Amino acid sequence: MKTRFKVALAQISCQQGDKEANLRKIKDYAVKAKQHNADLVIFPELSLTGYVLRDELYKLAEKIPGPSTKAIEEIAREHEIHIVYGMPEVSEKTQATLYNTAVIVGPKGLIGKYRKMHLPTHSVFEEKRYFRPGYQTGVFETNLGKIGLIICYDIFFPEICRLTRLNGAQLIVCISASPAVRKSFFETLTIARAMENTAFVAYVNLVGVEDGLQFWGGSRLVGPNGKVIVSSKYDEEDFAVGEVDYAEIRYIEPLVPTLKDLRPEIFEKLKDAAENL
Amino acid sequence: MKLAPEVLELDWEEVKNKVARFIRDYVEKAKAKGIVLGLSGGVDSSTAAALSAIAIGGDKVLGLVLPERETYSPREVKHAKLVAEKFGIKTETIDITPTLKTIQKTIPVFDPEDKLCKGNLKARTRMLYIYYYANKLNLIVCGSSDKSETMIGYFTKWGDVAADIAPLMDLYKTQVRKLAKHIGVPDEIVDKPPSPMLWPGQTAEEEIGVKYELLDLILYGLEHFMKTDEIAEQLNIERELVERIEKRWKSMEHKRRLPQTTKIQYRTVGFDFRLPQT
Repeated sequence: MKTRFKVALAQISCQQGDKEANLRKIKDYAVKAKQHNADLVIFPELSLTGYVLRDELYKLAEKIPGPSTKAIEEIAREHEIHIVYGMPEVSEKTQATLYNTAVIVGPKGLIGKYRKMHLPTHSVFEEKRYFRPGYQTGVFETNLGKIGLIICYDIFFPEICRLTRLNGAQLIVCISASPAVRKSFFETLTIARAMENTAFVAYVNLVGVEDGLQFWGGSRLVGPNGKVIVSSKYDEEDFAVGEVDYAEIRYIEPLVPTLKDLRPEIFEKLKDAAENL
Repeated sequence: MKLAPEVLELDWEEVKNKVARFIRDYVEKAKAKGIVLGLSGGVDSSTAAALSAIAIGGDKVLGLVLPERETYSPREVKHAKLVAEKFGIKTETIDITPTLKTIQKTIPVFDPEDKLCKGNLKARTRMLYIYYYANKLNLIVCGSSDKSETMIGYFTKWGDVAADIAPLMDLYKTQVRKLAKHIGVPDEIVDKPPSPMLWPGQTAEEEIGVKYELLDLILYGLEHFMKTDEIAEQLNIERELVERIEKRWKSMEHKRRLPQTTKIQYRTVGFDFRLPQT
């Protein structure tokens, strides 16, 4: 297992509803990532299809595994790279039950998927209208260590990153489609989640304009000490590469031992209080 | 939240870039050749025109100056041409008086004393001209409506509001003025009292009954779910004024929507036929 490797943040814009065009772009950026010696390339939330899709989601969603995961597996295999991207998933058991899903693929094929747990359905968002929330956090064993996946609004809920970290993820990948008014929240929360969990956080956000919504980009890799290792431009396509070195966690954990000092008994109280909000 | 003029402050350079990016993206995705818009000489259309020029280049923006005899103002025509010249925008000037006269003559119930109906006819006639150019020359119609006027319904339904894009619709009037100054719209355009020019001597603030500086703060409070009492207290104004504005905002929703229908079938336009615009 590699403990030190490069991560590429592929901050792309998408063609709404055009999977072929988006797959071409994913391939181009995967090739570029490999040229930069990256072992992992990360794309935004719903990067297979674009974010604002509304009723078209029913037509565009695919099973996992399915044709698009096969296409991404092919890219990963050919270029010997790990890829994280987002897509609308349709359940294997029903015909129109959808999930907003992050997929991780490696050189040996499909590794796993994470279904977004917190679906924003307020302000400009209408995710719960279309998607069913996931019920499991996502931590996956890879040649790059255990990698955790979360999606966008999940980062507002510290318990998701906490559980992901407690399940062994030292790198938490957050794929996102965040419109511009929320920039300051994400810039704070990416650092907070990294610091409070002493983990690496790789955040990759969408850019471009979809139905008047502008996505702000600002992708970043944050170290376990909260330092921004590398960051992308605002508002335009960008590509950045940063290094993850798990050894750094060993240096920061004794200084900020948040995991050692966890108080599990509080979680029960938290559950009770949340149920009675 | 404290309702004070500062809440309306934005990073104007960022707003400029955002609006320009939106316009450019829309024109590119539509595969259009450029933009056409009505140039009245007022701050809203001057700002929309300037931002269009910043976004795609003035040579791809056509400003239609569409005066008519009753409200003709050399100052307004001069201002329209001033902003066009400054931002390198092409213009075409067409006197719409003969068209208006013909329409008025052929409407059996036309009432020359009803200035509102007569005024709305002018705005809708301008819309016909603008859309002809759009249609003929493959141009996108850029509207100039701001957030203040859109919220209180201070516009002509299917008239001045008719457009393919409305890049200023999320900015209050006082914010449009600040953005206008930031991007270099001449002060004489920004600082004059706004008027829809539907009849002689009409000014927006007199008709609405409140200055934009105050209106925008009331609307900002309503936008942020503040209660009328809270807004009135903070702004030190009568609650009735806030209630009047709130009532106007809500009662004008019909002007901001497609025609309402009643649901009969599986998926219905305006209810649950929800498609992205691609």
